[in-house]
Amino acid sequence: MGSPAVTETMVETRRLKKYFSTPKGPLHAVDDVNIFIAKGETLGLVGESGCGKSTLGRVVIRLLEATGGSVLFGDQDIVKFDKNDLRTFRKRAQMVFQDPYSSLNPRLSVEQLIAEPLRIHKVYPNERETSVRIKELMDTVGLAQRLATSFPHELDGGRRQRIGVARALALNPEFIVLDEPVSALDVCIQAQILNLLQDLKDQFQYTYLFITHDLSVVRHISNRIAVMYLGKVIELAHHLEIFENPQHPYTQALLSAIPIPKLDIVRKDRIILEGDVPSPVNPPAGCRFYGRCPSRQADCLEETPELVEIGPNHFLACCHPGAITAQKQPAQ
Amino acid sequence: MVLLRKNSNLYLTLVRLRRNRLAVLGLWIMLILLLTAVFAPLLAPYHYATQNLVDAFEPPSWAHPLGTDDFGRDILSRIIYGAQVSLQVGVFAVSLAMLSGGVLGAIAGYYGGHLDDVIMRFMDVLFAIPQILLAITIAAALGPGLMNLTIAVGIAALPTFARIVRGAVLSIVGQEYIEAARCMGASDAWIIAKHILPNCSAPIIVQGTLRVAQAILAAAALSFLGLGIQPPFPEWGGMLAGSRGYLRDYAYMAVFPGLAIMITIMALNFLGDGLRDAMDPKLKR
Amino acid sequence: MTQHSEFLLEIRDLRVQFHTDTGLVKAVEGLNFTLKRGEAVGLVGETGAGKTTTALAIMQLIASPPGKITSGQIFFDGKDILTKSEEEKRHIRGKKVAMIFQDPMTSLNPVLTVQEQIAEMIRLHEQVTNKEALEKARAMLQLVGIQPERGPDYPHQFSGGMKQRVVIAIALACNPQLLIADEPTTALDVTIQAQVLELMRELKQHFNTATILITHDLGVVAELCDSVAIMYAGRILEKADARTLYGNPQHPYTQGLFHSIPDLTKNVHRLNTMPGLPPDPTALPPGCCFAPRCQYADEACSANSPDMTEVEPGHFVACFKIQEKNGRQAHG
Repeated sequence: MGSPAVTETMVETRRLKKYFSTPKGPLHAVDDVNIFIAKGETLGLVGESGCGKSTLGRVVIRLLEATGGSVLFGDQDIVKFDKNDLRTFRKRAQMVFQDPYSSLNPRLSVEQLIAEPLRIHKVYPNERETSVRIKELMDTVGLAQRLATSFPHELDGGRRQRIGVARALALNPEFIVLDEPVSALDVCIQAQILNLLQDLKDQFQYTYLFITHDLSVVRHISNRIAVMYLGKVIELAHHLEIFENPQHPYTQALLSAIPIPKLDIVRKDRIILEGDVPSPVNPPAGCRFYGRCPSRQADCLEETPELVEIGPNHFLACCHPGAITAQKQPAQ
Repeated sequence: MVLLRKNSNLYLTLVRLRRNRLAVLGLWIMLILLLTAVFAPLLAPYHYATQNLVDAFEPPSWAHPLGTDDFGRDILSRIIYGAQVSLQVGVFAVSLAMLSGGVLGAIAGYYGGHLDDVIMRFMDVLFAIPQILLAITIAAALGPGLMNLTIAVGIAALPTFARIVRGAVLSIVGQEYIEAARCMGASDAWIIAKHILPNCSAPIIVQGTLRVAQAILAAAALSFLGLGIQPPFPEWGGMLAGSRGYLRDYAYMAVFPGLAIMITIMALNFLGDGLRDAMDPKLKR
Repeated sequence: MTQHSEFLLEIRDLRVQFHTDTGLVKAVEGLNFTLKRGEAVGLVGETGAGKTTTALAIMQLIASPPGKITSGQIFFDGKDILTKSEEEKRHIRGKKVAMIFQDPMTSLNPVLTVQEQIAEMIRLHEQVTNKEALEKARAMLQLVGIQPERGPDYPHQFSGGMKQRVVIAIALACNPQLLIADEPTTALDVTIQAQVLELMRELKQHFNTATILITHDLGVVAELCDSVAIMYAGRILEKADARTLYGNPQHPYTQGLFHSIPDLTKNVHRLNTMPGLPPDPTALPPGCCFAPRCQYADEACSANSPDMTEVEPGHFVACFKIQEKNGRQAHG
């Protein structure tokens, strides 16, 4: 791919598919997704609800079984892993979940929650070493030691999410999938957790797949951003490139729809999309965005556009990328 | 006390339970009953089988506070010993039902699919038979005796537990912390033991308490029909059966064992209802 | 006779408390608030700041027990609604004050068609025949951008955004003087949120309904509101017209709030965060409720609770430090 030669790839998906069977037919949650995540980078994955971003995050670390395609982790295809390989793999890839309320077992105390991965993998031979490690992890994520015996229901959302992060770090993973880790939190707490994630990355060189629907968060935290629509990645580029030079009409509409907490910014041209996201069950051939696209053309339905590199490190899946730019120019 | 750490779930449950007067009353009655059963030989003024035909059909008196039966046996002593049987049958039958039904229900709920279908359809069949008839059939087939009575009552209660546990497991399997445990590399057995069962303990405990009452009642019914405990060992239901012929002249022979059954059932129901309210997570905070 | 006051809504020293297992929750603690006719105000704050409780108090929908309005007055159209009979309160609810709830999925009755639900509202408050009510219901659907032919459909046949349109149609059916919208777009995707905000903007011009928009999102407020009130721990800390507040936030909490949001126009590695957490509503600190987290606080702040003072025309702040600073400027 067009990435600078020095970067090493952490995860790469090839034609990755995940279909769920429904009474009405297969639901194409993830359909032919090709992305790569470089070692040490944060790839932001944005999209609206139901676009398949959470499913993609789960298939990538095999919390869900892929329907087709492969996920390369280094040179190994994790889709082909057997039970033992998978158990070892769990130490290398972890996940932080969206809901700090339902992702923690309400009957376990903070230390028990953080200790669980250590106990499952029998990392330390005795309780003493385990508890040293728990203390260390609590320090790392900024949880006061006095909270060790507290239960999740006694803590606020931010502290609970810190537990979730500590638990994910316990096994020293290389790669962490963060599934909407700050969406359930208030802005002030959200900022604290975003800073924590950023600090941890600086300290331990983690690789993140950061899934969110919040565009300002994704711009802040990511190195590159992938935009998903109806099971497909439709645009992928450097985080500033996406915001300053979006090429896909959906990306453009999405960015223009963000409510900005400022009054002086005069919105140039908000693109309000018509209608809703169509059902991912039995999607039609051709471009998935066709029904809502403001610059659609007749031949968009003929074939499904592939993700191709249109500029340095800028990937786009659109049949008429030129047409959009051409259309936009007179307006500018 | 490690278990009673402040703000642990158990502690909160107990705090809430204490506010419910009926539940506390039920708890005390059950405690007294339990002690009575354990220390029956010490507490009972007479041995349960000591016959004294001279004193037969004595009404309540100082010597026999609850009177004597047709063989002149002391009714109070027989009720005290009878508590042993009732509690044993109730607790063991429910434990049997809880364990086997719980495992079946947990498997059905956790794995789903065909396994779920097979197990639950079988439970539906058991459900379709009135439970007391089912118990009678099993007791008749196995023959009388404490062990067989327990098994009969236990099997009759099994489908209820399977269904309750399955429902509880289904509601927990969808929680994110189960997925989180899977993500850590936990095995199915680990997930069921550490995460699922502890979190569905509330409905199981509540139902268990309520079912002990029903099991005691079923055991009494079977003994009444002659399918349970055999004389001379006293069983409350059996004592009721024995008093059948003398109901008109010596009503106390039936009244006291009947009261014993009623009070026990009521105490268990109070306790069960109280536990349900105290453990309901919706009431937390 | 209605005495015509300048304000449509005036709340004086409102206190709402809830009795819970863990103690007395002081959800609203001495709230003062005014709203002009036709004004749209954004009520902004974090979870637990008392925004929804305030709204429910205005609607007279505080569940009792456990909740209780312990003191204060709520003047609507010049009359204190707290002293009114249940019958009169019912007349106000829906007819004069309408509310939109956060979750459009649960605020519609699944067994009634959407036009029946709109017509129900009209029939409750106006002397009309069934036929007239249904006709008006269909007109309302048209107004909120749903084809009137879809009136006989059931809620589950609509998407989230469409359902929220139906909810808005119900709320506006009787042409209320005040609309309270509690996080109306929080459950919606960005592109759908843009549609709904656009609709609400149009309707605001069409009906000139005074609006209280409850949200945690300063971006949404910027889209819709004339003025903004910042709420914290049951009190309003700062209130001003939107332009002033966004351009010149004064209260340290408001400033912290703005800094916590990742800025779409700036690149920073870490966000500025406020230390600490909002106070426990069962144990509010004495004095200024923000003092424990405030970098400028001194003893005076923890001793007394600051009142709202006007720091510039139309800009009210409850902070001793800012009052001091302004006082110095005025005298020096």
